[in-house]
Amino acid sequence: MPALGFEEIVLPHLDAAFNYARWLTGNDADAEDVVQDACVRAMRFFASLRHDEARAWLFTIVRNTWYSRIAKRRRARDGAGLDGLDAEPRDEGPDPEAILLQRRTVDRVREALEQLPVEFREVIVLREIEGLSYKEIASVAQVPIGTVMSRLARGRDRLSSVLKRSAPVMERVQ
Amino acid sequence: MICEDIRRDLEPYVDRELGPESEAALRQHLRTCPSCRRVVADRENLGRLVRSTPYHPAPQRLRAHVSARVHRSGIAWRVLLPWAAAAMLAISVGGGIAVVRSTRGAQEPGAERMMDAVVDGHVRSLMADHLFDVQSTDQHTVKPWFLGRLDYAPPVTDLAALGYPLVGGRLEYLSGRPVAALVYQRHKHAINVFVWPAGTDRATTIAVQSVRGFHVRHWNRDGMSFWAVSELNDAELTDFAYALQQR
Repeated sequence: MPALGFEEIVLPHLDAAFNYARWLTGNDADAEDVVQDACVRAMRFFASLRHDEARAWLFTIVRNTWYSRIAKRRRARDGAGLDGLDAEPRDEGPDPEAILLQRRTVDRVREALEQLPVEFREVIVLREIEGLSYKEIASVAQVPIGTVMSRLARGRDRLSSVLKRSAPVMERVQ
Repeated sequence: MICEDIRRDLEPYVDRELGPESEAALRQHLRTCPSCRRVVADRENLGRLVRSTPYHPAPQRLRAHVSARVHRSGIAWRVLLPWAAAAMLAISVGGGIAVVRSTRGAQEPGAERMMDAVVDGHVRSLMADHLFDVQSTDQHTVKPWFLGRLDYAPPVTDLAALGYPLVGGRLEYLSGRPVAALVYQRHKHAINVFVWPAGTDRATTIAVQSVRGFHVRHWNRDGMSFWAVSELNDAELTDFAYALQQR
């Protein structure tokens, strides 16, 4: 077993951890707090890490940190209103369709993704952006592989119907 | 109107998670069914749209803060205990992690050390933001760039048609010698392919390994040793390695 430390094994995945946290939390400040806390936890449990699992391992800790934070917040507010497990509906202003139409494709996609319930959003982000396998996503989200697959299917269906509503033709990118 | 097999296998098909037999069957079906082809194309396009959204890298402040904590904690250079405390992790972070495989079985002498070296090379290139010495999607630009810089000519192939565009190359110093690093891209991830003379003409099949959350594929061909490293998922990296090996 080589004498490699936290810096060599975990820190290379910091960008990915932050990107994932950013999609989970929906804002920079929470994402920064969550990743920082997650890294402190990760240091504590570093000895239990298998090297080849470092990335999924860090994602799992980020996710757990975020969910315990939400639970704490919810208790603090005594269950009043804040439901971090679902995307909060946004007030889009008088004519969301018209506004959406004017935006660039990228902004529309980002917004549509942000508005998906988090259990769909996270599997799409882990798969499409972070490139995790079903097995890895299952271990991060702590659900069976079949659930990963059905969440991906439902999440993508929702996403594409939102996008089709916001623009008649989905433009091709890349 | 979409057919039953596509309804069931659409996600694993577009995600390259189907077994080879089911995948072949589905491909066969797609050849004859335009409406299912459209469904697949829509899904693939949706993936491209999602990947076109901006990536959120960790802010510098966060990185500095975490680094400082690591140093204070003294964990930075601690020798790793072989995962004795896995149960502790499972309790403390809620679900634990399904450990799926053990992949560090080395197939050649020195392969394990080599694997660490190529992963280090990959990590360095990402962290130092130094992926390229020559940035080009043109193999006819990248290949000659190595002339006079190495005492061998690495084969350079573009795989853009398969969704793995070549984006550049650089010199890397591995195990005491300069080697060619070719950089390909998939999703938001870089794939580093390190190439140097194998010292033998024997071709090998592709070896599959994972280290520190990175995936590694290694094979020998035409007297060259190839090491592909990325954080890209297993299935796609294997797909990439096969494509490159076939060229």
